[in-house]
Amino acid sequence: MARKSEIQDTIVGRDRIHVVMFFLSILFLVLGILITIKIVQIQTGYEIDPKVENLFRPSIYKHVDKPVRGRILATDGRPMAISAPLYDIHMDCTVRKQEFIDKNNAEAEAQWRSKVGDLSRALAAEFRDRSAADYEKAILAGRDKGSKYLRIKNNVDLTTLNRVKKFPLFKEGANKGGMIVDRHEERIYPYDTLARRVIGYVKENNRIGLESSFDHVLHGRDGYEWRRVTDKKTWIRDIDSASVKVIDGDDIRTTLNVDFQDIADKALRKQIQADDEVRAGICIIMEAKTGAIRAMVNLSRGDTPQTVLWERDNLVLKEVGEQGSVMKTVTLVSLVEDGYVKTLDQTLPTNNGFVPGGYNQDVHILDYQRETGRRDITVMHGFEISSNYVFTWLAENYYGKKPQEMFDHIYSYRFGEPFDFDIAGMGSPVVNRPGTAGWSKTTLGTTAYGYSMAVTPLHVATFYNAIANKGKMMKPYLVESIEKDGKVLRQFKPSELNSCICSPATADTVTRALRAVVNEGTATRLKNAKLPVAGKTGTARVVLSPDERGGSRDPYSDAYGRKKFQGTFVGFFPADDPKYTILVTVYSYPSHRNFYGGTKPAMAVRDIVDQLYAIDPEWRPEI
Amino acid sequence: MTMKEIGTAIRNTLKALRSGEFLLRVRADKYYMHIMYLFLLMWLTIMLSLRVDKTLAQVGENKVKIEEMRIRHSEKEAEIVKLESASATQERLQKMGSKAAMPTEPATVIKRK
Repeated sequence: MARKSEIQDTIVGRDRIHVVMFFLSILFLVLGILITIKIVQIQTGYEIDPKVENLFRPSIYKHVDKPVRGRILATDGRPMAISAPLYDIHMDCTVRKQEFIDKNNAEAEAQWRSKVGDLSRALAAEFRDRSAADYEKAILAGRDKGSKYLRIKNNVDLTTLNRVKKFPLFKEGANKGGMIVDRHEERIYPYDTLARRVIGYVKENNRIGLESSFDHVLHGRDGYEWRRVTDKKTWIRDIDSASVKVIDGDDIRTTLNVDFQDIADKALRKQIQADDEVRAGICIIMEAKTGAIRAMVNLSRGDTPQTVLWERDNLVLKEVGEQGSVMKTVTLVSLVEDGYVKTLDQTLPTNNGFVPGGYNQDVHILDYQRETGRRDITVMHGFEISSNYVFTWLAENYYGKKPQEMFDHIYSYRFGEPFDFDIAGMGSPVVNRPGTAGWSKTTLGTTAYGYSMAVTPLHVATFYNAIANKGKMMKPYLVESIEKDGKVLRQFKPSELNSCICSPATADTVTRALRAVVNEGTATRLKNAKLPVAGKTGTARVVLSPDERGGSRDPYSDAYGRKKFQGTFVGFFPADDPKYTILVTVYSYPSHRNFYGGTKPAMAVRDIVDQLYAIDPEWRPEI
Repeated sequence: MTMKEIGTAIRNTLKALRSGEFLLRVRADKYYMHIMYLFLLMWLTIMLSLRVDKTLAQVGENKVKIEEMRIRHSEKEAEIVKLESASATQERLQKMGSKAAMPTEPATVIKRK
C-alpha cells in the first residue's frame, strides 16, 4: 500500500510540475508575443522619452576634422590664395529672459538691459556700420519679440572676433550673454582681383581655374576621432576608439609673377578702363625658353558696357576667334621654311591689290603704288604694312595647287586642336582645311591673313613663343610644383609641344620681319620701348551672333553698320635674345570705331615692357 | 541554508563590522599583501587614467591654440601681402603726396670681385 501511495504522490507531483510548466510556457509565449509587438511598435514609430534616451546614449561623439586647403603661391612663394575661417556673429536676445520671469526678478532684467547699452556702444565703435542706438534698439526689440538669432555681423576675422568676445554681456558667455558664433571656411585672395580667373574658385558645383584643376591636391583629406567627456566635463579624444588623422591639402606653386601680373593688369586697365566701347582686354606674358606663364590677365565688362572691368571669364583660353593679321606670321614661317620665300626682299607684283579668284581688292596696295610709283612690293614691306593682298598672293601662288601643305604646317604649329593645359576648358580651334565643309575657293587666301581659321589667344602666344625660341615650341604651363610645408613633393618641368616647328634660320628671318613691323610698320608705338620688341599687330572683325546682327546679312556688322573688333599685338622682347613673349588683345562691343592692334594693345605692351625692364634683374647693369 | 541561517550570518557580519573585527573574522590578514597589491593596482589605474585624461585635455586645448595661431598667421600674412604689392604701395604713396614712384630704370648692381 505504501508503495502504491508513493507512486500516487509521485504522479500527483509530476502533474503539478506539468501544470506549472504548462502555465510557464503559456506565460513565456504571451511575453514573447508582447515583446515582439513592442519591438514592432518601436520600429514603426515609437518615440523614446528623451530623458530615457540620454541615459542610454554613450557620452561619446564622432568629431570630423576638416583639412586646411592648400595655398596657391606665386613663383616667388608669395601667397595668392590662402584659407582662413571667417565668423558670423549672431545673438540670442532671449537669453535668461525666462529665468528672470520665473524668479520675478525685474532688477536682474533691468541690469541685463542696461548691459545691452554698453554692448551696443562697443559694437558700434568696432564695426562702424550702425550707430550704438541702432544696435541697442535692434537687440532690445529682439528680446521683446523673442528673437533667438539676431544678426550682429557677418564675415568677421578671428582677431576681431576675439575683441568682440570681450565686450560687455558677450564676455559672460553664450548662456548668459547670448553670443552665437558660426564659423565658415573662406578663401582669402590677398591680391584681390589680380589673376582671379586663373586662380579660380571652388563653390559647390561651380569650379574654375587652378582651384578646380588642382582641387584633388589642394583639398587634403578629412580626418576624424571619437571624443568622450571627462569627469571635468571636458571633451577629449577617446584613445580606445579608432581615429584617422586629418591630412591638410598640399600647396601649389604657380609660374605667375605677382609683379608682372600687377604691371600687366594695370597697363591693360589704363588702356581700356575709360573706353566704354571696349568689351574686354587680355594679356599673356610667357617665358620664351620654358613656356612658363608669368602673367595672365582676363579683364572684361560683361554684357553691358556700363559694368566694371573684372576677371569674369578666361578669354585667353576660351575666346576662339579669327585672329586677323597676327596669323600672317604663320604664313610667312611656312613660306620661308618651305623655301618659297628665300629672302624677305623677294618681290611680287602689286596687281593693283587684286588677287584673282573672288578675293577683295586691297586698297592699301593702291596707296602703296600711288606713294612709291612701284608695281612690285617686297615680302618684308607687305608684312610691315600688313597687306592682305601680299599674303593672299603668296598663299595662292605657292600653296594654291597643294593647300594641304600649308595646312600641314598649321597643324604642326598646334593650331588644329586644344592642347593639354593646367586649366581645363581650352577652346577648340576651327580650321577649315581642304575637304571640310568650311572649305571654299577663297579659304586658302583668307587663312593666309588670319580669317577662316579660329584659334585661342593662347595658341597664338604659343606660336610666337616658338619663333622667339628659335623654332622650339614649348608647352605653356602654370604650375611649377606641388609642395608641402615648403618641401617640393612634385616638380613640373618645361615640356615641348613641338621640338622644331621651323629651323633657327627661319625663326631668325621671321624675327627680322617682326622687328621691321615695330620699327617701320604698324607697331611703331613700340619703336622706342626700353627693350627692343619684335612683334605683329592684328585687327580682326569678329563674327556677330544672330541676336547681335539684328537682321543684318553681313555676319560682321549689325543693322546699324556697327562692327565688333579685336585688336592684337603679339611679339617678344628683347628681340635679339628673347626672354618673354607677350600678347595683348582688346575686344570691342559693336561699334562704328576701329580697334587696331597698333593702338591700345601696342600701347599696353609698351607700358609693360618699359616697367618690366626696370624691375627684372635680368637687365640690371653692373659696375 | 535556511532563511534563519542567512539572517544570523548578516547579523554577525554587521556586528563584526561595528566592532571592527570583520576582516579578522574572514581571515583577511592571510591575504593582506594581495589586498594591498590590489589597492595599489587600482590606485595606479585610476591615477594613470586621470593623467591620460588631463594630458588629452591639454592636447585638445593646445590644438585649439595652434589652430588659432594658424588662423592669425594666415590673416596677418594676407594683410601684409596685400600691403606690399607694387600698385598698393604706389597708391599709398600717392595718397600721402609722395613723389616716389615705380623705378623707370633698372637698379645698378655692384659687381662682386
